[in-house]
Amino acid sequence: MSELERTLLRRLRDRDERAFRELIENHRDRVFNITYRMLGNRAEAEDVAQEVFITVFKTIETFREESKFSTWLYRVTVNHCKNRIKYLARRHERDRDELDETSHETNGASGAPLRHVPPDRALEGAQLEVLLQEAIANLDDDQRVVVVLRDVEDLSIEEICEITGLPDGTVKSRLHRARLVLRKRLQRHV
Amino acid sequence: MTAEPPPSPAERAERDEDEIDEAILAKVSDYLDGALTGAERADVASKIAGDPTWQRAHAELTETRKYLSGLRKAHAPSSFAEGVADTIHQRSAGRFFARKTLGDRVPFGALLIIALAGLLVIAYVLWSSSTGSLKVDPDRATHHGSGAVVPPP
Repeated sequence: MSELERTLLRRLRDRDERAFRELIENHRDRVFNITYRMLGNRAEAEDVAQEVFITVFKTIETFREESKFSTWLYRVTVNHCKNRIKYLARRHERDRDELDETSHETNGASGAPLRHVPPDRALEGAQLEVLLQEAIANLDDDQRVVVVLRDVEDLSIEEICEITGLPDGTVKSRLHRARLVLRKRLQRHV
Repeated sequence: MTAEPPPSPAERAERDEDEIDEAILAKVSDYLDGALTGAERADVASKIAGDPTWQRAHAELTETRKYLSGLRKAHAPSSFAEGVADTIHQRSAGRFFARKTLGDRVPFGALLIIALAGLLVIAYVLWSSSTGSLKVDPDRATHHGSGAVVPPP
């Protein structure tokens, strides 16, 4: 951990509002990208990302600096995402395939679900993104976490083990399974 | 009765892609993650180079990973930080960020300036006053100064 990061942590523990804003500025996009790819919905992603930072601020004193701060932050992010997915499932909210306005515009005003994409047509750009987002959303939670962290966020297997608290073998096996499902899904369309 | 010969690599490759053994995909997946030891890595590399099934598994997984890593990065809205701060203020009724050090709570700098200004005003008043004790009166210094304490000869 760098001296700069230690100083920032000290200020966070002193509840320095400027330090909190600094932390948000440094990490908001990455946290938001994870929540967005995990949940597939901008509004939900923004809400969960907010909750992530609020949790970090409330519990910063429990961070014992045994891991990188980012690892701890992503652990909080993943836990919030999993909780939200369960909550949404309980509420029967099945709109996880919503994409942002750009994708909707490119893919047609209706933001058509992937199953309407002609399977024999080469996909490009936003269509491919829609396809992938739905494919990710259809993975089970545990597979979704590892594939988002590894293949979307490009974190190492070791970091993913730290974040999820899972052994190396479990992470790899979930990753294999997730890629297998995604590969099959892509093969139907690409 | 002769046993059916095993399918050639080319025949195996022509089979439906779903038939790729999951164990092969798992190995290739580990290979792409750089999670294999030197010997395993060399073994998988040689299979990818020589076996169409392994080649296809490699190509498909590489492509899948490429698509995933190529997903556009989503950015948080510009007002995100404000939103978080507002939520914290609302939930804590403004108390969350209130726990500050004495130096943050008391504006010592401003108090010092005010105190100095006050002292200057007091000094000026005393200086300009005819009865002020700070004013040096040359006449008094002459008549009642040190000479006054020395007894006349």
